Amino acid sequence: MRGHTGDVFLWLIGGSAGSFNPIRRALHQITYMPDVAIVLCLHRLRSPRLGMAEALGKLHGWEVLEPDDKTPIRGGQIYVAPADYHLLVEAEGYLSLSVEEPVHFSRPSIDVLLESVVQARWRRAAAALFSGANKDGAQGMYWMHKAGYFTAVQDPADAEIDTMPAAALALFEPDVKFRAEDFPKVLMQALTL
Amino acid sequence: MLAELLPEVSDAELEQFIQVMLTQYGYDFRGYAPASLKRRLGSVIKKYGLPGLSMLNQRLLTQPDYLRYFINEITVSTTELFRDPTAWIALKVQALPPLFALPELRIWHVGASTGEEVLSMAILLKEIGLYERAQIFATDIDEISIEKARLARYPSRLKGLYQNNFRTVFPAGNFERYAKEEGGQLVFDSGLLQNVRFIKHNIVTEATFGSFEVILCRNLLIYFVPTLQDVVVGKLVDSLVPGGILMIGTKESLFWCSAAKRLMPVNDVERIYRKRR
Repeated sequence: MRGHTGDVFLWLIGGSAGSFNPIRRALHQITYMPDVAIVLCLHRLRSPRLGMAEALGKLHGWEVLEPDDKTPIRGGQIYVAPADYHLLVEAEGYLSLSVEEPVHFSRPSIDVLLESVVQARWRRAAAALFSGANKDGAQGMYWMHKAGYFTAVQDPADAEIDTMPAAALALFEPDVKFRAEDFPKVLMQALTL
Repeated sequence: MLAELLPEVSDAELEQFIQVMLTQYGYDFRGYAPASLKRRLGSVIKKYGLPGLSMLNQRLLTQPDYLRYFINEITVSTTELFRDPTAWIALKVQALPPLFALPELRIWHVGASTGEEVLSMAILLKEIGLYERAQIFATDIDEISIEKARLARYPSRLKGLYQNNFRTVFPAGNFERYAKEEGGQLVFDSGLLQNVRFIKHNIVTEATFGSFEVILCRNLLIYFVPTLQDVVVGKLVDSLVPGGILMIGTKESLFWCSAAKRLMPVNDVERIYRKRR
């Protein structure tokens, strides 16, 4: 069974207002990769329990799911953080949920997810931050960067709402500043490093 | 301003913390999921401006009076009245009816926190006319939360949310019958707690204490690693009468639990199960 910190590349993608459509478009352009798991942490309305995974549509080969607590991390899967829970990566190779306090008024919080990856010392991972109207994710991206992971931030000029990417860029220089249409290439680039 | 990463907790310090809690106080954190435990320890360390977890360990060793506050800080108390209203509808419509004819109804809330879930159950039982034959046990490891639960008073700002959740479950119900605003607080009718006993109890380390027709254990298992989930769910299923109901959090899973084969789903989406006869 897969699901060790060793063999799955974790691609973490965060965003808020204005991020869903560019992320969905990008995901529709990437090929299926059995050794890569993508984790989406997008701010969303509190109530709808189902919806985002369906809204992404059918993606070539990828299985899209809202993980339950302690779902083993496997390649070829796209995990969508469920509404009203923090999503954390555990070193043992699974995803945990938590209902502790919102961070930057957000649950799920991108900072909480990224911090957990740093704490777990996941071997191979990368993170991207898209458009958004608050500062969640900026610090998490910085921590990922400091820990030596590949980081990519959407160019604020390209973002529908620039607060979130601008907050990250105020803290550090990521490996890549990208336009949404180029994100599929950025995603592949990180895998070759 | 750039906040620092929550203080890093090393595995050695964590090990020491677990030892202190276990040997000094009998709290067993060995089976807690590391990511959120480290995160919560980090936030306690930060709150007190301590240089690291070893100082917190020191404090726990030398100041036994601090323990109850620490337990309150380390536990997650997030809850609300009729949290996940559709799950409560499923409980009311699908799970409870077969139990209506029973002469008594023993209910256990595991990890009852500040009591909103207990009040939800009490209101549900009042609405369907079963409250008088119910005995409700509400347990938690955090005595500060239990004290709050006994008061059944919450900040007024929560009224809108609680009232909406209530109306989703009981469209024709009258919320004012159960809660009133008083001096900036939402105060619940004390009659709701008449058949409720709050008890400090640790499901991880202590024996269970009876058999129940209904057990609710929601968003507690998420803080445990799979092996401990297995043990705890085993204890819960042992504590259910045949045909009894177990309700867990809507994103919790029994995937890791061997006791799951003694259950059958009542509503898979809402994570409500019935113990096989």
